[in-house]
Amino acid sequence: MNDMRLTERAPVVDHSKISARNVNVHYGPAHALKDVSVEIGDRLVTAFIGPSGCGKSTFLRCLNRMNDTIPIARVTGSIELDGQDIYDRRVDPVQLRAKVGMVFQKPNPFPKSIYENVAYGPRIHGLARARADMDAIVEKALRRAALWNEAKDRLHSPGTGLSGGQQQRLCIARAVATEPEVLLMDEPCSALDPIATAQVEELIDELRRSYSVVIVTHSMQQAARVSQRTAFFHLGSLVEYGETGQIFTNPRDPRTESYISGRIG
Amino acid sequence: MTDLPLDAAAGPRPAPRSLLEADPRTAARNRAEARFRAYGLAALLVGLAALVLLLGSILWNGFPAFTQTRVSLPVELSQAELDPEGTGDPAVIAKTSTFGFDDLIEAALAKAVVEAGIGTDLEPGDLADLLSSGAAAQVRDAVLADPSLVGQTVEFDLLASSRVDGYLKGRVTRESLADDRNLSPAHLDVVDALAARGAVSRGFNAAFILGADASEKRPEAAGIGVATLGSLTMMLVVLGLSLPLGVAASIYLEEFAPKNRFTDFIEVNIANLAAVPSIVFGILGLVAFIQFAGLPASAPLVGGLVLTLMTLPTIVIVTRASLKSVPPSIRDAALGVGASRMQAVFHHVLPLALPGIMTGAIIGMARALGETAPLLLIGMVGFVASNAPDGVLASFTSPNSAMPAQIYEWAKRADPAYYERAWGGIILLLVFLLLMNLGAVLLRRRFERRW
Repeated sequence: MNDMRLTERAPVVDHSKISARNVNVHYGPAHALKDVSVEIGDRLVTAFIGPSGCGKSTFLRCLNRMNDTIPIARVTGSIELDGQDIYDRRVDPVQLRAKVGMVFQKPNPFPKSIYENVAYGPRIHGLARARADMDAIVEKALRRAALWNEAKDRLHSPGTGLSGGQQQRLCIARAVATEPEVLLMDEPCSALDPIATAQVEELIDELRRSYSVVIVTHSMQQAARVSQRTAFFHLGSLVEYGETGQIFTNPRDPRTESYISGRIG
Repeated sequence: MTDLPLDAAAGPRPAPRSLLEADPRTAARNRAEARFRAYGLAALLVGLAALVLLLGSILWNGFPAFTQTRVSLPVELSQAELDPEGTGDPAVIAKTSTFGFDDLIEAALAKAVVEAGIGTDLEPGDLADLLSSGAAAQVRDAVLADPSLVGQTVEFDLLASSRVDGYLKGRVTRESLADDRNLSPAHLDVVDALAARGAVSRGFNAAFILGADASEKRPEAAGIGVATLGSLTMMLVVLGLSLPLGVAASIYLEEFAPKNRFTDFIEVNIANLAAVPSIVFGILGLVAFIQFAGLPASAPLVGGLVLTLMTLPTIVIVTRASLKSVPPSIRDAALGVGASRMQAVFHHVLPLALPGIMTGAIIGMARALGETAPLLLIGMVGFVASNAPDGVLASFTSPNSAMPAQIYEWAKRADPAYYERAWGGIILLLVFLLLMNLGAVLLRRRFERRW
C-alpha cells in the first residue's frame, strides 16, 4: 500500500496556516493514523471525508491537541501552526486551543445561560474588562453564529433549553467568541435536521472570511457544498488531498473514486 | 441486501395462528412475569411491614421517655437548719450538704401526707423513696441560687423516683413491686392519694432532650442533651475534614492522576477501606490520636477524627462516581474553548457533580452519626457526661459521649426506666438523621441542574 500513499499529491497552497508532516497517532497498540502530511490553507474551508474509523476525527483532534486528554494516545510527527510546532514542549495546549477553536459532533452547551456559554471563553482569556465589552463580544459572536435574532430576548435562559440546531450554533458562537484563527468542526451537522444543517453550512461559508475552517463530515454533499479543499482518509491514511472540485469530479486515486461513488464505506 | 437465495428464504410457512389466543410460549412468559411481579410485591410488603413494626415499637416504647412525673411539694426551708445566724450568705448555706436538705424534704413529705389525711405506716425516711434521690440537690441548688428563700416555705416541683414515674406510666404495677426493695405497694397508696389531690403530675420532659446523663441510681434525671452535643461536635469535625479532603482526593484521582499501577493500587485500597469494620478505625484512633499524638481520651475531637477516617472512603467513592457521571462532552467543551484542566473541573464538572457529592457526604455523615463501635475504643462509651462543656472550644476537647453511645449505655443498665430512655434516645437519633437527610434533599434541589 505504500506506493499508493501519494502524499506528494498535496496541492500547493498559496498561504498555508497549518502544515502537518508525517503525523502518526497510536491509541495504545492500535495505529490510528499513518504518516499523514497536509497543508491547510488560510481562509479556506478544508473538508476531511472518509468512512467511519478512518482517522479523520483523530487527525482533527491532533490539530488543537485534544488528543492530549486521552491517556493512551501517542502523537508523532510535526504539526506547525504559522511555522511554530504545536507539539513543542514549550507550547501550552491551553494557549493553543484559544487560537484553534473546536466545535464537536454533539451539541454540548454548558448547562448555563446562553450569555454565559458565549462569555465563558472570553472571560477565562481576559478578553473583556467591562461588562459592556463582554456584551459586545457576546452579541458579535451570536450574530456570527446566526443565533442573535433567536436568542437576543432569552440571553439569560439556559442554553440547554434551545433546539438541537440552535444548540450547535450556540457552540459555534462559543467557539468564535474567543477569536480563534482556526476553527475545527467535528461533524457539526450530524445531529441536525436539513434546515439546521443548511443554516450551519451558510455560517461556515461566512466564517471562512475570517478563519480557516477544517470540517470533518460524513456527508460528501456537504463537503462538496462548503469546502474548497477536500482530503480523503481511508484506513488511517490520507489517500488523496486536493481541490474539492477535482476530488469529486476527477479523483486520481481509485479508492477515492470508489468512496465518492458509494462503492466502499 | 440479503445474501440468502430467494428460494431458501421462501420455505414452507408455519400454519397461521390466531392473534386472539395466546400461544403456549407467550402464555408461559406471561405467567413468569406475573410470578415475578408477585414476588417483588411480596418482598416490598414484607419490608414495609418490618418498617412499620420497627417504627411502631420504637415510638411505642420511646414516647414515655418524653414525659416525666413530678411531685409538687411545699418545703419549709427552715432558717434554724440552713442559716442559724441569718447571714443570708450563700457560703454559709452551702455548708449544709444534700443530707441536710434530705431531712427538710422528708419532713415536708410527712407533713404533706398528714395534711392530705393519708394513713400510712411508712416512716418519713421511707416516704422519701417516692422522690428522686436527686431531689435534695434540686432544692439545694435553688436555695443557693436565691438565698432569700431561706426561712420561707416554697413550693417545689420535684422529680418523682423512676418507679413512681413507671407506676403512672403503667410500667410498674403492684404485682411487680412484690419483690422490689426500693418501693412497696404502700408507697403506691400514697402516690394515688397525692395524685388525687393534684400534687403528682406528668409533664413534658425537656430535661431528657436537653439534659445530661445521670448516675445509675437516678434514671429519672438522665437526659441525652449533652451526648447530642457530643454527636453534633463530632459531625462538625467530620464535615470539616472529610468533605474537603475527600473531594480534593477524588478530584485529583478522577481528573488529574495518571492512570498507572500506583493509582490502581490506591483505588483498590480505597474500596477496601470502605469495607473495613468500623471498630478497626477505633483501634487506629486509639493508637494514632490518643497514644501517639496525645490528644485527650473521650474527646469529641478524637471521635470526629476517627469517624472522619471511617467516612473518607465512602465520600471518595461517591464523589468519584458523581464526577464520572458528568458527561465527557462538558470537559471537551471547556477544554475546546481553551480552559485549563483545573478551570474545566472547577467551573463545569464540579458544579454538575455537586448534588451527588452532597448526597454522598450526607450518607457518610449519617453512617458516622450512628456509629458506636469505634467510640468504644477511644473512651466515648460508658462515660457519664454529667454536665455540658464550658464553651465552644471546650466542647471539642472535654470528655463527652455520643447519641448512639449513650443509647448503648442506657440499654446496658439494669433499671427498666433506662430501657424507656434508650428507646427515647433512638427516637431522637432518628429525628437527627431525618433532619440530615432533609438537608441533603434540600441541598440537592438547590444545586441540581440538568444537562
